[in-house]
Amino acid sequence: MSEVATVVVGWGITFVALATYSTWVVLRGKGIGQELGIGEIEQSDVEKDTSATTDS
Amino acid sequence: MPGANSAAKMTATPVTRVLGVSALAATALMAVLGLIVSPPDVIQGEAVRMLYVHVPSIWIAYGSFALTSTSSVLFLRRSRRRADQGRHYDRLAGSAAEVGVVFTAITLITGMLWGKVTWGTYWQWDARLTTTVLLFVTYLGYLALRRLPAEPTVRSRRAAVMALISFVNVPIVHYSVDWWRTLHQKASLSVGRRPEITGEMYWTLLYSTLAVTILATWLIIHRYRVIRLEELRDEEGLEALIASRLNKDVGSH
Repeated sequence: MSEVATVVVGWGITFVALATYSTWVVLRGKGIGQELGIGEIEQSDVEKDTSATTDS
Repeated sequence: MPGANSAAKMTATPVTRVLGVSALAATALMAVLGLIVSPPDVIQGEAVRMLYVHVPSIWIAYGSFALTSTSSVLFLRRSRRRADQGRHYDRLAGSAAEVGVVFTAITLITGMLWGKVTWGTYWQWDARLTTTVLLFVTYLGYLALRRLPAEPTVRSRRAAVMALISFVNVPIVHYSVDWWRTLHQKASLSVGRRPEITGEMYWTLLYSTLAVTILATWLIIHRYRVIRLEELRDEEGLEALIASRLNKDVGSH
């Protein structure tokens, strides 16, 4: 492998590895958050607030 | 999808979003400086550009493992005293170790590629390379230990002890090139010693280190929050299991 090819492969592997790991971390966080229904709880709170405002 | 947006809030805040965008911009500039702006080396030619990913990666790995050790000491000291049993420090130790392992892997791969063009071989069992691979394997073991089924506090305590034992290897890796005769060159930058590189190469290396530090900080923060979410999920799962067992027992009597 030439010097330039080595540099391209080395930098390429570094960026792909970091991008893959970063994406995995972000998606895992989102996935577990959804599993826990955090969004649903917050959504129902918002709905409660809205209906309270409408009632008054 | 409101659920997904709210879930995202658990791992992303305005601060981490700014940090994430900064990391992205900083690494893009790092690529421009490292691949285009900085000059080729007189001896190594274009291959010297590996320096800007290889060296910052191992420095970040050292820093991450130092953070793991510090957090582990704080966990061991406070786990009996605090109401949350020092779980915060345990999470920080785990997230930093994982990021450190990723950067150690990058160091090993880029080092092997660089070695092929400069030494003519991908691998040599010399002191620096051997101690670095040992560092990688021990921290992989640490991460495996964190996943073993056990009572959370006991598991965290075992992991904290292992983190402290594993950290002993960090100064050995760093000083191996001074203590033994190795194929690996001496440190490019070292405290109290004249730098081996100067000018644009020197500044590009410093800048690359800054860019990778921003990225590693962002990763550690996110991973910390994901560990917290994993714990919440496990606790909910356990509570649901206990509730279903209790219902079954009541039904059978």
